[in-house]
Amino acid sequence: MAARKRASASSDASAKPPRNEEAVKAEPKPAEAAPIDPPIAPPKLGFILKLSALFLAPYLYLILRHFDIDRELRRSILINAGLSLAGFFATVKLIPVASRYVLRRNLFGYDINKKGTPQGTVKVPESLGIAVGIVYLVLAIVFQYFNFTADSNWLVEYNAALASICFMILLGFTDDVLDVPWRVKLILPSFAALPLLMAYAGHTTIIIPKPLIPYVGMEILDLGWIYKLYMGLLAVFCTNSINIHAGLNGLEVGQTVVIAAAILLHNIIQIGASKDPEYMQAHAFSIYLVQPMLATSLALLSYNWYPSSVFVGDTYTYFAGMTMAVVGILGHYSETLLIFFLPQILNFLLSLPQLAGFVKCPRHRLPRFDPQSGLLTGTNDGTLVNFFLRAFGQKTEKSLCILLLLFQVFFILL
Amino acid sequence: MAARKRASASSDASAKPPRNEEAVKAEPKPAEAAPIDPPIAPPKLGFILKLSALFLAPYLYLILRHFDIDRELRRSILINAGLSLAGFFATVKLIPVASRYVLRRNLFGYDINKKGTPQGTVKVPESLGIAVGIVYLVLAIVFQYFNFTADSNWLVEYNAALASICFMILLGFTDDVLDVPWRVKLILPSFAALPLLMAYAGHTTIIIPKPLTPYVGMEILDLGWIYKLYMGLLAVFCTNSINIHAGLNGLEVGQTVVIAAAILLHNIIQIGASKDPEYMQAHAFSIYLVQPMLATSLALLSYNWYPSSVFVGDTYTYFAGMTMAVVGILGHYSETLLIFFLPQILNFLLSLPQLAGFVKCPRHRLPRFDPQSGLLTGTNDGTLVNFFLRAFGQKTEKSLCILLLLFQAMACGFCFLLRWLLAGWYK
Repeated sequence: MAARKRASASSDASAKPPRNEEAVKAEPKPAEAAPIDPPIAPPKLGFILKLSALFLAPYLYLILRHFDIDRELRRSILINAGLSLAGFFATVKLIPVASRYVLRRNLFGYDINKKGTPQGTVKVPESLGIAVGIVYLVLAIVFQYFNFTADSNWLVEYNAALASICFMILLGFTDDVLDVPWRVKLILPSFAALPLLMAYAGHTTIIIPKPLIPYVGMEILDLGWIYKLYMGLLAVFCTNSINIHAGLNGLEVGQTVVIAAAILLHNIIQIGASKDPEYMQAHAFSIYLVQPMLATSLALLSYNWYPSSVFVGDTYTYFAGMTMAVVGILGHYSETLLIFFLPQILNFLLSLPQLAGFVKCPRHRLPRFDPQSGLLTGTNDGTLVNFFLRAFGQKTEKSLCILLLLFQVFFILL
Repeated sequence: MAARKRASASSDASAKPPRNEEAVKAEPKPAEAAPIDPPIAPPKLGFILKLSALFLAPYLYLILRHFDIDRELRRSILINAGLSLAGFFATVKLIPVASRYVLRRNLFGYDINKKGTPQGTVKVPESLGIAVGIVYLVLAIVFQYFNFTADSNWLVEYNAALASICFMILLGFTDDVLDVPWRVKLILPSFAALPLLMAYAGHTTIIIPKPLTPYVGMEILDLGWIYKLYMGLLAVFCTNSINIHAGLNGLEVGQTVVIAAAILLHNIIQIGASKDPEYMQAHAFSIYLVQPMLATSLALLSYNWYPSSVFVGDTYTYFAGMTMAVVGILGHYSETLLIFFLPQILNFLLSLPQLAGFVKCPRHRLPRFDPQSGLLTGTNDGTLVNFFLRAFGQKTEKSLCILLLLFQAMACGFCFLLRWLLAGWYK
């Protein structure tokens, strides 16, 4: 369910005038006195810088000093990081440009959680996930050229991953534009996951947890096609669960950023602690696909964080979910990934009664906003957002979002 | 340039009511008396059937009887053909559904070549290339499971091809929705071709034509990165050249169908006439990617042929152009492909003065339509469409389109003739 109800594709076709581009440079300069209002506010780059530093410090330390990582591998990871950094700046510059085009085609929404305040009448551009997606794809495609440790099996998996992620972005953007029925939305990720399932040449065995061995009778169980079914379902789950754990400014991108950071730390720790080259390659593979996603997502967050200048659309949530499912599958750590997704799982379980139709399910299951106090009150809808509000009392949108993201971090540290 | 100017994204947000789906079944049944008007006319399936038979007869004959093709290979080709057939029916059913959604989001255009007649006021859904693209991708992805002759190199090329085509569909649809500036449009295919360039593990050598060997000094020349640049430019050319050779009902899809049919015939002839397994694999690879495109395109043509019920959008022309560039590159027959593209090349050359800015270039370079007579008159714009009209006099839209498609078929035939005549002398 989209976080923001799209305003009806109606009368207003006036194009927003082009905005000058200085304000989106890395060092924020004062905006020139433009003759007309720019379409979106400047990015909150200071905030992003602080957030990134919080993660980058331990991450870079682990890569460069703490672990003794093979030189070639380290070089590939750092090249990928450099590419991702370039992608960050490219996305920061692209989003305002894309916003103009998107507004011109009436792809916008009104911020429901600001209804009744002046900001509730602003047309917020939707589906900026398309800008992130396109920059990401270019980064991921170009990186292949720089990866010196590639063999043909790696190339197959990488290209299948690219095809899956690309197809998902296409389906997500098509959904944002055409607003497909939610039953179709549910199965779209299965189609997008197909290249992955076809190319997956890994083992389909699972290791039975030791306590269960006497009951099952074996140590290793070959699931065969059931494992592929699991992979497909994982893709469906990751994409849709992020999509429904939404509704506050910055929540969708924020949760993705937190999980991505956790994934990268997990990957680098596993590389550092392991001696098996195949195992290290699997985690490196994950790093190569997640670093660009983290960088481009941070760029999006700089506009999407409270108060949101742009909305991300299903394009973004599907892209993020699929990328994480892809790396979890090809990196062979999907169980760990599911633990990172615990808040999303909780949200999904809370949502089940309404999704299954047992309880009446409104179009938006957002909390109630009081324009006077600026606080949100929890409704009886089954979402983590509302649950937190009911448990912890009324909150502002920003503090609630921060609380939910800290909850996400908490589970990862577990 | 889009064939049809999109109506400004303006006031009318009324959704067309859902249409009942019977009329899109393969055997046309009389439409039930629906309480409201359906959004688009039923597909012209009879026409498509006759067109397909025209091509399928020689094609199937070559595959099944004339050539002695390896059993495994033949089986893969026929499985792919079966999948493509399923894709045809899926697309025929999907297009009316997609049209409703597309109209609801104001992605439509008015048929400029019917302006002044009642049909000129109908809102025609745009960008139905997205339906074709999605069905195509599903077919292409699923086919991997059925290809028993796949090795890891094949899988790399196939997945890189899928990634390129998928990225192109994404960029094409984004262009249709957001209407990006034409300078950006030009370079989009270069980005989409990147997976292909990265994964291309083939030789970058070209064989110097025998007559030129004394001048060049070698028989084989290794172009290295220049060959990759050529591949990138080929992708940009194929996509944009189809895009500008447009403007009549059914022209964009029609030219693609003709070229695709020629490609398949070329592939099967080369497979039959060759003994080199790698060479056969390269042409089989092309068949696996072009058959689904031909089938889904025929489904689109059943709605897009004169008079058009739907418009295809840049999504379709970019998808078609990229697919053909991809198979030309990975099948190693890009020079042959360029000869199939002769009309597109001519159109591009005719268009150069206006594209380069020497001559004033209007938004649409379409011929002038006279609602009284129903005939088109050529303007002085530099397109093949206008050139034909100036050379052959006024024509109806349908007959002009047929003429241009015959010209395309002639170019393909000319290519086959040329190859037959020059075999041995040229290479």
